[in-house]
Amino acid sequence: MRVALHTILAGLFFGITPHGSYAQTTSTLPKSWNDAAAKLVDEVAAAMSPTSVTLDVENISSLDVSSAGSIAASVRAQLQRHSFSLVSENSAAVQTAVRLQLSLSESAAEYVWVMQILNDQQDGTAVPVMIVAAPKGDFADAGAEVQSLSLEKRFVWKQAERFLDFALLKEDTSAAEFTLLVLGTNRLTTYKPGGSPWQLSRTSPIPRATAPSRDPQGTINLKEGKISLQGLECVGDPDLAGVLQCNMSTPARILRDPFVDKPGYPISLGAFVSEKCRGELIALYTAESDWTQRDSIRGYLTKGIPLPFVASGNAIEFDGPVMSLQAEPATSAARAVVHNLKTGEYEAYIVTATCGN
Amino acid sequence: MLRRLAVISALVVVAFADLPARSARRPRYGGTLRVEMGAAVASMNPDVTAATPEEAAAKMQMDALIFDHRDAEGAFAGTVGSGPFQVTSWEAGKRAVLTANEEFREGRPFVDEVEIVMGRGAHERLVDLELSKTDLAEIPPQDARRAAEQGVRVSVSPPDELLALVFVGLNPLRTPGSIASGNATGVAGGRAGGRPIARATAEVMGQTLSLAIDRVAIVNFILQKTGEPAGGLLPQWSSGTAFLFPAGAPTSAELERAKELSKEIAAAGPLVLGYDSADPLEQSVAERIVVNAKEAGMAVRAHALPDAGNSRSTGSQTGPVDARLVRWRMTSPLPRDAFKSMPLGDDTNTLTRLDAVPLPDPATPEDIYKQQRAVLNTFNVVPLVWLPQVYGLSARVRNWKAPGPGENWPLADVWLDAETPTGVQ
Repeated sequence: MRVALHTILAGLFFGITPHGSYAQTTSTLPKSWNDAAAKLVDEVAAAMSPTSVTLDVENISSLDVSSAGSIAASVRAQLQRHSFSLVSENSAAVQTAVRLQLSLSESAAEYVWVMQILNDQQDGTAVPVMIVAAPKGDFADAGAEVQSLSLEKRFVWKQAERFLDFALLKEDTSAAEFTLLVLGTNRLTTYKPGGSPWQLSRTSPIPRATAPSRDPQGTINLKEGKISLQGLECVGDPDLAGVLQCNMSTPARILRDPFVDKPGYPISLGAFVSEKCRGELIALYTAESDWTQRDSIRGYLTKGIPLPFVASGNAIEFDGPVMSLQAEPATSAARAVVHNLKTGEYEAYIVTATCGN
Repeated sequence: MLRRLAVISALVVVAFADLPARSARRPRYGGTLRVEMGAAVASMNPDVTAATPEEAAAKMQMDALIFDHRDAEGAFAGTVGSGPFQVTSWEAGKRAVLTANEEFREGRPFVDEVEIVMGRGAHERLVDLELSKTDLAEIPPQDARRAAEQGVRVSVSPPDELLALVFVGLNPLRTPGSIASGNATGVAGGRAGGRPIARATAEVMGQTLSLAIDRVAIVNFILQKTGEPAGGLLPQWSSGTAFLFPAGAPTSAELERAKELSKEIAAAGPLVLGYDSADPLEQSVAERIVVNAKEAGMAVRAHALPDAGNSRSTGSQTGPVDARLVRWRMTSPLPRDAFKSMPLGDDTNTLTRLDAVPLPDPATPEDIYKQQRAVLNTFNVVPLVWLPQVYGLSARVRNWKAPGPGENWPLADVWLDAETPTGVQ
């Protein structure tokens, strides 16, 4: 699922969370989930006449409590729409009510919601079972608790093929039009607004300067208008969204990566963002895990290099390793490329650090 | 002073923000990954058929390392050496050395070499892991806990291999009554008495066993909690509906029902349950089933099948047994694909004889649930436990992920954290 472009852009640049509300707001579900809940209750209504019912909900999926509560609320609303009377456990009517058991489960591909009519089998037949599928989505974990440094991730893009970096290039300062650049291992792909939500605009192959690497690295430097990829530096005409020209990078440039580990620093991917928190530098670091594990990004504060780092605020979790973490210019954000181990896809996130009071 | 500090801070920020992020956990190149496997692969020639399923599986893993892609039927194909590794040393059935392919399309593997020692027994592999004489070896699931207690790093996949009891060689013409009276004429190759069991009798036997077998005890005691009780034909993580197929310990009501059913089939004589004589897990489970069945009043006799592996792979006759234990590994994590790939053409599998409606494409979770229910309602297949794939790793192995259904060993992604092994040589 690619999140609606304008929602993302609004969220990125005007501080609106684009789709975290799916998981966090109890009153709003994605349409596909509401449809699934309605279908499930339609099947219940087809199997039995409206009567008094109790609804027990069991969440055996990876859905968080808030989402599970929202789904249960949606199912209850659908039952009432079908003229079922929901009775509470304390009510005298519970003795005669039909017991409905809603199980929120999940398969390898999707969420699976199961409704069982538990006491409708007096004739010895099996328990009636209704099953619907609901798509899995990308729902951001929003840090609810305000701490000294709070992190928030915003989903931007995902694709099956590996990519190394991405960037949102603002085309015109007077308009809210952006171009999405996705740097793959051998090409730069440009997407323009439109479609669902991005439309392929241009694919610029990047020649291979070295033997293919199993750990390829590449970055998009919007500030300098350059792309660095495996020993090459590319510039665009008139900008990176245009025609690319690539040349071998100078040895000095190559030698800058990686730099030396420093004692007391997290041993993982890290990036300093441009803004500060109460005068302290803000660094974002991943967890110290390898590519087979879930990962997280955490904020750190330091009064300077090489003074100690102090972890601050919440860590945000990802369903796979963060493969790349690059600071965004002139903001308190960083670009993260994540390999989602559940889906196998590569995902782009903007991680923003906010300094609390 | 403050202004100077501000300038320095600003320079630091610019410098660090501009540079690529560092990481001490970036993969390292180099080293020899030492792998041990139980099977002995006689030949890597695609035209040479593997003698056992274990050899075929091992050959497939090695094929995945030296071929770049699969053909339309799923077999690895193309030019030998087009994959991440090239064979540089080969001793049939004993040892192979694979060297990193510098020109591999997806990038050179991290390790320089993979040394594969074949034909190592489960006990030998475990000891070698404990002594750090190997970096990677499969461990039988029932040994996983012991291995971990001995300090071996253990990597466990999601449970993806079903151990089930399957009725074989059924005679659709016979009924329970005909078995009791001995009137029917059976075909050869079925049960101990020379007559195949009637389908209706098998159904009652299957139902009795399904009620009586304590799957939880099998998981807790035989598998040492490495596995899950199985009530359905797909695991919960794949289908999302396995919880609708109960697999808990038998309740007293279920045992009573099993006793009632066993009376109906008492005249049929003992059920002969075959198991692979080379598989200690199957033997332990078969013996446990004998005990559980006896508690329900049903006679079951466990019978070791010396050539069970071969008959499984070729679909040949299974000898004088009424039912046998079967291990089936999923080929895909997706429930429809996994269900479709169940060995329908194998004579040892009861699904052959089902008049099941083909699954639609795409199939909904409800379609797959109903199909499973249809199969299980015949009681010709009694799911027992879900087994994971268990691997032992040395301390220096990084980036290893236990392969899921349909996946191969990710040896091209593995890297070694130190240049030399740290254990006893």
